[in-house]
Amino acid sequence: MRALGFCLALAAPACAEPVIPTFIDETATAGLSTVYAGEWEYMVGGGVATFDCSGDGLPEVFLSGGAGPSALYLNRSPVGGALAFEKTDAVTIDAVLGAYPVDIDSDGVMDLVVLRQGENQLLRGLGDCQFDLANAAWGFDGGDAWSSAFAAIWEKGQTWPTLAIGNYIDRKEEAFPWGSCTDNWLHRPEGERFGAPIPLTPSFCALSMLFTDWDRSGKPSLRVSNDREYYKGGQEQLWRLDPGQPPARLGEKEGWKRLRIWGMGIASADVTLDGYPDYFLTSMADNKLQVLKDPSTGLPDYADIAFKSGVTAHRPYTGGDLNPSTAWHAQFADVNNDGLADLFVAKGNVAQMPDFAQNDPNNLLLGAGDGSFVEAGDKAGIASMGIARGAQVVDLNLDGALDLVVQNRWSGPEVWRQATVLGGWVQVRLAQSGANRDAVGAVVELRRGEKIERHEILSGGGHLSGSIGWLHFGLGQAETVDLRVIWPDGSEGDWMTLPARSFHILRPGQVAEVWQPR
Amino acid sequence: MTFRRRELLGLSLVAPIALSLKPALAADRADVSREVLLTWHKLILELVRHTATYVPPVAARAFAYIGVTGHEALATGNPALRSLAGQLTDLAPTPARGEGDFDEPCVLHGALTAAAQGLFANTGPTGQRSMEKMTAIMGRTAGEGVAGDVVDRSMAHGQAIAAHILAWSALDGGAVIENMGFPRDYTPGTRPQDWVPTNLIRLQQAPLLPGWGGTRAFAIPSAAALDAPPHPEYDETPGSDFHGFAQEVYDTGRGLTDEQKLIARFWSDDPMLTPTPAGHWISIVMQIADRDALPVEVISATLAKLGVAQADAFISCWSTKFKYNLLRPVTYIKRHIDPKWEPLLITPPFPEYTSGHSTQSGAASTVLTAAFGENFSFEDATHKDEGLPVRSFPSFAAAADEAAVSRLYGGIHFRFGNEAGLAQGRAVGAFAASLRTES
Repeated sequence: MRALGFCLALAAPACAEPVIPTFIDETATAGLSTVYAGEWEYMVGGGVATFDCSGDGLPEVFLSGGAGPSALYLNRSPVGGALAFEKTDAVTIDAVLGAYPVDIDSDGVMDLVVLRQGENQLLRGLGDCQFDLANAAWGFDGGDAWSSAFAAIWEKGQTWPTLAIGNYIDRKEEAFPWGSCTDNWLHRPEGERFGAPIPLTPSFCALSMLFTDWDRSGKPSLRVSNDREYYKGGQEQLWRLDPGQPPARLGEKEGWKRLRIWGMGIASADVTLDGYPDYFLTSMADNKLQVLKDPSTGLPDYADIAFKSGVTAHRPYTGGDLNPSTAWHAQFADVNNDGLADLFVAKGNVAQMPDFAQNDPNNLLLGAGDGSFVEAGDKAGIASMGIARGAQVVDLNLDGALDLVVQNRWSGPEVWRQATVLGGWVQVRLAQSGANRDAVGAVVELRRGEKIERHEILSGGGHLSGSIGWLHFGLGQAETVDLRVIWPDGSEGDWMTLPARSFHILRPGQVAEVWQPR
Repeated sequence: MTFRRRELLGLSLVAPIALSLKPALAADRADVSREVLLTWHKLILELVRHTATYVPPVAARAFAYIGVTGHEALATGNPALRSLAGQLTDLAPTPARGEGDFDEPCVLHGALTAAAQGLFANTGPTGQRSMEKMTAIMGRTAGEGVAGDVVDRSMAHGQAIAAHILAWSALDGGAVIENMGFPRDYTPGTRPQDWVPTNLIRLQQAPLLPGWGGTRAFAIPSAAALDAPPHPEYDETPGSDFHGFAQEVYDTGRGLTDEQKLIARFWSDDPMLTPTPAGHWISIVMQIADRDALPVEVISATLAKLGVAQADAFISCWSTKFKYNLLRPVTYIKRHIDPKWEPLLITPPFPEYTSGHSTQSGAASTVLTAAFGENFSFEDATHKDEGLPVRSFPSFAAAADEAAVSRLYGGIHFRFGNEAGLAQGRAVGAFAASLRTES
């Protein structure tokens, strides 16, 4: 109510009240059980990855287990039915903070990048949800660090992706770990294997990374969100990547403004519908929603509109704990299918920090249509007081309504199924032949009335959590949607009209292929 | 008494250290005591930076209690030192040593361990882990070669001193900080000159610690007794004195030299990104102690007086701030000069008059000048890890003057707020400087 009141006060009379979805907690029955365990070395992390490795279109779920074993769960949910997962022994490695799915070798079988305390691992998908360790075969140096962020992109002219891996504190430091941030790495391909990692110096304890075409130049840059708790002289970062050139950090001369937060997660969407991606940055207490001040300048100069948009999410909105919040994974998605971006934020205390909320409910901030958001986590039924870290907002049973899986520190995962499909929706999957099969770096454009809504297809961001699979768009009452794809090579697909409540596979130069869940 | 560099070096050889150890070993043990004292303070600088409630007034308070703890721990075993009990408000005599031998490094380690754990009980998991590691590391250093019963007895005595100081601290009105120091309910003033929030951070829509002026002071008789005179009369008329001060902030900000920008950032000392302004001056003393190999008794007495001076400075300054509740330059300038103007530094979320940095720097420089002399030159590498250069100063007063004017360069204070703050701080610092730490 507080958030809605704020919305009304700021934006009346345009501020609408969005429809609140209802989620059913199916944690007890869904079969997900991997706990994110461990002490100091696992105070960050707890990632969730979703991707289809069984070929049935349903997203599998990978849960990082921290000091304990991680696990991959096959999705056995009936379409539209109760969520059901089957635990496998496919990926049981320990010391895992998070993982991201990427088809690295573009063989059409999803691979997995696993971020760890110690050596990171590239797991090559063998089909049927089986994997083997490919570090040696792919020339990948997994290093020995506290890896805590990831992003991938296919640079122009490359058939293999460039992998950015963020690293955190030097865990060998005892009494004085502050200022010990270790180098992030850029793993660029050399043909069909990786070259030696390039240090992204200076590094400032990254907890989220994202390759994003922030200025629509066609050349994605690397955004890095850093935890100010541990760096000295650090700040948020933006790196320019020109093919074949060393990465270059943008500074004040290039228009980048110093921002120092407890950066923990990045979510991206064109919330303001100006054609440029906006970035929600999670932190402790106030969170940030950054919008490009003036795209015409070409400068990466951002304004924070979190306050006026009602997404500061700085303290619990329910449960009685008035201390400041601690935010981790964030993700934009249209959970109520009304055609407006909503925002999920996972919340949880670092570990017995008494000055921050111990009972810190996750947020579900619903887009109201006038640029503001309304808190609905409690009414929607997802205001868990678990110590959340990673998460994914994803349609787990392919009914058109987004569901939610959250990994909590120490207490294990929670999963919610959305009870009712509100409004229309369409889900598409991008598929290319050759390199970059899932079209990472593409843009999907939707025409909504006079507005063109742009969605970057990304690999990275969040808090050690990522997904590749169906791209979900809410349609509200519309029965069709006009949509096109701008592929990673810059080629513009034709506009196409897709019917509501349908799945389609989109390929360059081809008509949309209808797909139906089995 | 004023210590000069040469005298300090001499003092380290002749100071009457009451150790129940052989004289040859006593000098070694004094070195270990120095290491214990300085290493714990190095960690405390980090804990201040990394504990969310340690905004500048709160940090200054902690430095005061830690400093007094260190001095009192040594004073109970050294007749040449004088306790601060009876000199600081409500501080009762500290526990005396019992029978048997005591080891000074172990006493000091026990005291600082307990004091740090008490004052930073709310720090995060990394701070807790670091205190645990430091307790073990310094415990080994302090206890090496010392009989077990002496270690235990000494540690217990140090802990008793710390418990005494912590009990005293618990009743000063500043022990509990909620919501990172920002009240959850706040009614803003209605006069045109009243402070208003200057940023879009939800937590900071109320000012920081509006009641801090009521915290029990250490050495000054009361916050009100050290109040600053009224600021220039508020006036929005171009050509008025007040408008002129705002115009100066505006013009200075538009014409900043690289050196002025550097000065502004050097003294910015933002909470949660640095050890705060109070920690900056603690760091200066630690660097001088290292450079000049000061004896542990001198270091601990100086840290105690410096901590007290800075804590009292923030108390008196905060009392003044909320008495006058004056708006910040950015508010005035945007309303009356240039709506698009932005200062170099982020404006702190509380009223302008008087400048906290200036008050606290004035107090610090007064104590340090009394201890080390008028023209005591030093270098300051406090922010080297942050990538800022080392700065050199011919005197503590010059450093304080620079700290004060840095707030003008940063665009966050009027000149009169800085100058009044310096004067207020120097008056406060005189009380701490007059404390007697030697018998």
